[in-house]
Amino acid sequence: MYDSIVSYLALVLLAAIPLIVTALGGMFTERGGVTNISLEGIMIIGAFVGLVTVNKLPASWFSSNFVLYLCGMIAAVIGGLIFAGIHAIAAIKMKANQIISATAINTLAPALALFLTMSLTLGEAQGSDKILVNGTRFIIERVPLLADIPFIGEVFFTNVYPSLYFGIAILVISSIVLYKTKFGLRLRACGENPHAADAAGINIYKMRYQGVFISGILASLGGYFLVTSFTNEFDATVSGFGFLAIAVMIFGNWKPKNIAFTALFFAALLTLSKGVAFFPALENWLYPPIPADTPPEQIAFLTYVSTKVIPNIISMLPYIATLAVLVLSSKKSAAPKASGLIYDKGER
Amino acid sequence: MKKFLALIMFAALAFAFIGCDVTEETDWNIVMLTDVGTITDKSFNQGTWEGVKAFADANDIDAIYFRPNAGTQADYEEAIDLVVANGANVVVCPGFLFETAIYSKQTQYPNVHFILIDGQPHDASYNYSTAVNTLCILFQEEQSGFLAGYAAVADGYDNLGFMGGMELPAVIRFGIGYVAGAYYAAEVLDKTIVFNASRYTYLGDFNNDVSHTTEAASWYAGDDGVDIIFAAAGGAGNAVMAAAATANKKVIGVDVDQASQSTTVVSSAMKLLAVAVGQALTDLIIDDDFAGGTTLTKGAAQDAVGLPLGDSFKFTTFTEAQYATLLAQVKAGTIVVPTTEAELTTFIATYCGNPSIAALIAKAETEAAE
Repeated sequence: MYDSIVSYLALVLLAAIPLIVTALGGMFTERGGVTNISLEGIMIIGAFVGLVTVNKLPASWFSSNFVLYLCGMIAAVIGGLIFAGIHAIAAIKMKANQIISATAINTLAPALALFLTMSLTLGEAQGSDKILVNGTRFIIERVPLLADIPFIGEVFFTNVYPSLYFGIAILVISSIVLYKTKFGLRLRACGENPHAADAAGINIYKMRYQGVFISGILASLGGYFLVTSFTNEFDATVSGFGFLAIAVMIFGNWKPKNIAFTALFFAALLTLSKGVAFFPALENWLYPPIPADTPPEQIAFLTYVSTKVIPNIISMLPYIATLAVLVLSSKKSAAPKASGLIYDKGER
Repeated sequence: MKKFLALIMFAALAFAFIGCDVTEETDWNIVMLTDVGTITDKSFNQGTWEGVKAFADANDIDAIYFRPNAGTQADYEEAIDLVVANGANVVVCPGFLFETAIYSKQTQYPNVHFILIDGQPHDASYNYSTAVNTLCILFQEEQSGFLAGYAAVADGYDNLGFMGGMELPAVIRFGIGYVAGAYYAAEVLDKTIVFNASRYTYLGDFNNDVSHTTEAASWYAGDDGVDIIFAAAGGAGNAVMAAAATANKKVIGVDVDQASQSTTVVSSAMKLLAVAVGQALTDLIIDDDFAGGTTLTKGAAQDAVGLPLGDSFKFTTFTEAQYATLLAQVKAGTIVVPTTEAELTTFIATYCGNPSIAALIAKAETEAAE
């Protein structure tokens, strides 16, 4: 039971980190006034570039897998910057519709990743459209001393992926940058009232470019964190986590702390919906064991209920809970006022 | 995404047929249509394709594969129309889901040879009919599952789980054989095993999805978590392997030898798709001896199912010699592996000391019977 809870919490953190990192990326770009729904596409590109890098670099160059992991992160960021750049130029310089250019990236990213995988034989065999991940090599087995702390040591410092620490660091740094620096203040101004900010002497375009580039960096890292910890094979998909991250961002009211809590809430429910087996008591309550002396026709009915009815209801829970919370909290929603609007100096 | 792939494949298809002169009778064009999942699923589609490709390369015959837009009857029929219009005269269809499409197309194209794996053509109301230009190949997956289940228990795994992809006949048979094998081994070798009914499930797809990783991780977790999961789930098996790697537990692969996929794979319940397809193509094209209109059933007796040996045989206490003895019994028919829920109930009652596992057995087939 105790071990199960530890595994459950570890898995929740594992799922929450990519969400937090990506949603923070979305927060930065929207706070600057540019919507970016291409987070999904950028995640895929980041995951793709990062994975190819860690797979193709000779392992002998690196003293430890952690350094290799860092190299993958750097490569992912470069890939993410290029794709965020496409969106930035379209949305800021060309004044194009921000939804359209982001949608183009979302469509392009998986196709490009698959095309490159197959044509350059990046998978392990000719014609393969999948890249092996082998993410367990990056696991940090024990952090000395800290791992000895009861419970916390087991969840945070034993058998964890490096993404956990990077994610927490990104969260802390993001809060500081957004609220405690000149850059953060100016970025927020650009998203709320760009004309006033412009009048105060801030270069709106420059701030917005920076916001979009930050989203590219963070979303690509989010994708890289997700695939290295969650799958054995990458086939140009991040299971919709990019869109989930946008929901988390909105739900989290464009504030880092709220985003973190929302992502944890989401991840906890999503993990629970597929992992009731983590909690034997809950599982027994939801799926009561069928007594051995039950008549066959009753067994058939109970089996139907336990395979076709209850799992589907449980799978809906995270989304029902989201809807409910959104309805209750949407009054307090504080979206950046100029988000998604093209900035035109001459406009009044 | 699928449209894009289809476009590429269509271009490749058009290209492949350029320069085929159709004057000689010996001009064969083999096209394989993929089932749900992709050609590189390291499982069902890929196994079939490897058989087609090996045969085509060895005999210098054109062979390509084509991915239908989606896994529906309409899309399958459209794909068959498309490839036949482009000159295909042998169409290899791996998968039960092709049954209805082939039923209508086998009469429409009497000059095209169809090879259907894992199914028999029928219409929507289950009137079966296999035309003389169609050959059906079925596998006795239950035997493969039986061997895997027996081996796992014999090797000391005492807490088992099963994750099937979709509830299709082939997957159901894998699961039924697995349960039979596990309980047979428990009885014969006098071991106690746990196989909770809640640890037997169909995931609903063959995709490598995060949610499957989560579910497998929850099964593995804790002191009384499962030790080994038989993942008869194509690409979704990779999700299970990812969870097993983190939890340091084990997986049994499916269809082809999946040991190269992950170190967590101790064995794989194989069906030798490549061999069977290659044989059928040889009969048709080389020997002109096509068994059209019939259904071939391939099992242990034909060496068409089993576990991989050599480096991929990763059991520690269960030896290859013990495996050979068991396989011989299955081959000879000394052990008749059940294929349906009813047969499984009888098998458990007769040969396995009749443990009370009715709830587990009921999980094997949950869809309403035809």
